[in-house]
Amino acid sequence: MTTTKTFTYSHTIGFLTAVGRGFTNPVDLAFNSQGVIYVLNRAGPETTVRLPSKRVSMCTIDEEFLGEWGTGGQGDGEFWWPSSIAIDSLDQVYVADEGLQRVSIFDKGGKFLSQWGVKGSADGQLEYPSSIAFDADDNLWLTDSGNHRVQKFTKDGQLISAWGQRGSGPGQFQGPWGLALTEAGDVYVSDWGNDRIQRYSADGVLIEEFDGLPEGDAIHRPAGLAVDDDGNMYVADWGNEKVKVLGPNGSLLATLRGESVDSKWAADYFAVNPEEGQLRSEADLFPELDPPVRREREISAGVEGYFWGPSAVKLDRQGRLYVADSLRHRLQVYQVN
Amino acid sequence: MADKELGLLAHLMRRAGFGATLQELEESRAQGYEATVDALVHPEDASDWDDDLFRRYQPDLNSVMYFESAQNYWMYKMINSKRPLEEKIALFWHGLFATAYGKLNHAKGVVNQTDTFRRHGLGPFHSILMELSRDPAMIFWLDNKDNHKYAPNENYGRELLELFSMGIGNYTEDDVKNCARAFTGWTIANDEYMSVRASRDSIWPSGRIDWQFEYRPEDHDDTEKRFLGRTGNFNGEDIIDIIAMRPATSWFIAGKLYNYFVSDTPNEEAISFLAEEYRKSSGDIRSMLRALFLSDYFKSEDVWYAKVKSPTELVVGTARLAGSFTTPQWDITNLASDANFMGQEILNPPTVEGWHTGTEWVDTGTLVERVNSSALIIGDTLQPGVQAMIKSLKARRDTYQPNDLVDECLLLVGGLQVSEGTHQRLVEFAANYGEVSFTPEDAVSCSEQQVVELLQVILATREYQMA
Repeated sequence: MTTTKTFTYSHTIGFLTAVGRGFTNPVDLAFNSQGVIYVLNRAGPETTVRLPSKRVSMCTIDEEFLGEWGTGGQGDGEFWWPSSIAIDSLDQVYVADEGLQRVSIFDKGGKFLSQWGVKGSADGQLEYPSSIAFDADDNLWLTDSGNHRVQKFTKDGQLISAWGQRGSGPGQFQGPWGLALTEAGDVYVSDWGNDRIQRYSADGVLIEEFDGLPEGDAIHRPAGLAVDDDGNMYVADWGNEKVKVLGPNGSLLATLRGESVDSKWAADYFAVNPEEGQLRSEADLFPELDPPVRREREISAGVEGYFWGPSAVKLDRQGRLYVADSLRHRLQVYQVN
Repeated sequence: MADKELGLLAHLMRRAGFGATLQELEESRAQGYEATVDALVHPEDASDWDDDLFRRYQPDLNSVMYFESAQNYWMYKMINSKRPLEEKIALFWHGLFATAYGKLNHAKGVVNQTDTFRRHGLGPFHSILMELSRDPAMIFWLDNKDNHKYAPNENYGRELLELFSMGIGNYTEDDVKNCARAFTGWTIANDEYMSVRASRDSIWPSGRIDWQFEYRPEDHDDTEKRFLGRTGNFNGEDIIDIIAMRPATSWFIAGKLYNYFVSDTPNEEAISFLAEEYRKSSGDIRSMLRALFLSDYFKSEDVWYAKVKSPTELVVGTARLAGSFTTPQWDITNLASDANFMGQEILNPPTVEGWHTGTEWVDTGTLVERVNSSALIIGDTLQPGVQAMIKSLKARRDTYQPNDLVDECLLLVGGLQVSEGTHQRLVEFAANYGEVSFTPEDAVSCSEQQVVELLQVILATREYQMA
């Protein structure tokens, strides 16, 4: 089926702060049953002064800041390379950590409850868990990127199933990153190193793979992804600094480059620092840069409104599209019409 | 009996790169010396380092919001690059055109400058100066953004002549003034906002924005200038045309290259040879280096181990030997910190004159740091390079007498040739273990530890600490 959906930039949430109201390298986000947005801040490098920036921030779609919790470290409930966040049916919050090879569990206010995960390559062990998601039965799915596989656990960490191995053939992965589950039970995986999306049944049977876009549109190093009720795929095209929307058959429906303007939080700062605000308003923040001699990532580095390091794409219950714009320390929100 | 052929290749790889393992040296030997030189001076023929994996797991390597990430990125690149001379020449120009993060408050700006050195560093010196003059970090560093038509700022113009091309005594104060006037209007986009952001670093609402070069004709002094005996309506390009053709420039660059690649002690005849290569090739750095590496000035055993390794050469070379940091690891920060403690904070040189090199790298404090850092890296038996050395030892024979063990280990750390005195001390150290045996199985662990301890001592020798 062909979508008639269009995408309109709505607004931006967040700006860069080391702690407090703002984000630092937000790599993933999740919604709880009350509509609270949990934003996972990876931050780095891992020097003492930067560790407090590794945290979970809570806010609403209307940019109301609800607080934050967590910090960097290797103790219980602390984060080192936090990679993904998911929320179960009880509104408990799960955070995967690629540095500590574990999943940590918190209540909705951030109180640490428990953790599981062991480093290794045997079934049930973890090596750089990149993305987690819950299915309708409250089981936790996980892309185990260093072991090039998908694993399914009970939410307290008992292994249910695992499949995949390193390679570029059917049913193989090269550092899988994003993971999306559908109501029907299908499992979509961003096969990062192979530049493709793979679709599996819940029991791990490969249904199809999507890597057939023509050069120029082709996905490069896909990160997070989401799938809507119609089977359209929303892919963080990390290597191209874009978000691509693919139809159920893998055809390209839309390409988003990002068009952010200041969030409320950023505007508040410039309102009380008018001299800087004035200079900023006079600056050209959307310069024309010459694509033939620059890679997309270099253009993103020079044009503030574009995506830079898009890591996760999520849809809320209203169908709005959220992009974790990790290197720009914000979420860009799109209305889907 | 020392293997001279291997020794020469090891010398080449220490100078044109960061050293080589025994296996890499044997591969070069099969290729031949001249072919190895050609491969080095044409880094574009080798595959580039794929940094996606590193940028994925350590996102700030990409945005370089923080200075530590800038250093980490370059450390990774020097360790993992298949183009050692590309990194080595970038380090050379970074030392010569020393631009420091400390003033810029924009770590990605200095990283981008090193990319410019990679792209152009082996090309014509004329092109290098053109790129340097357009480089935003340099424009910020030496205040050319404040160099205006009616209010010239001489900082860049002066250093271009004094530190970057000809050297003092080859121009007048009037030349400096007119050079500066020719570069008026060479600035960066959004300079006022970027200046405020650099001075108040706390709030970048969406992270840093890459600086972009901008030429503003309305701010350029378009009147006549007299420069080094010529008169004309010169712009910056014209100034560089003139500078690049000056004999003083050929001598200046020849001297700097000789010092960096050959010896801490100047050799007028060799520098004259290099200056002539500059003139013959219109200042092509690749041609100069090829001629240098093939010359007896470079090959002579008199200049082997004649340079003190810079801290960066030391830590990168040792990490490459140990096979460390080939995958993303958060403690890469420690490697850059080690070099910082040894006196070389890459991307943040102390002044526009860069670092004082040679024997000035070594004092009682930094020597301890150099020895400890090397021992720490090579002492990790889990590192793939260390395991490969142990495996190689086991493959050659089951047991080693002290003298044989020393000789094999010297080979394995990259064809290291040491003085008789050093060799004797190493054998005395190894003799503490007696015979080292890899059989029976329960002796292996102890023997491996003894090998690693010997490697640590070898890395502490004067010869290893020299290039």
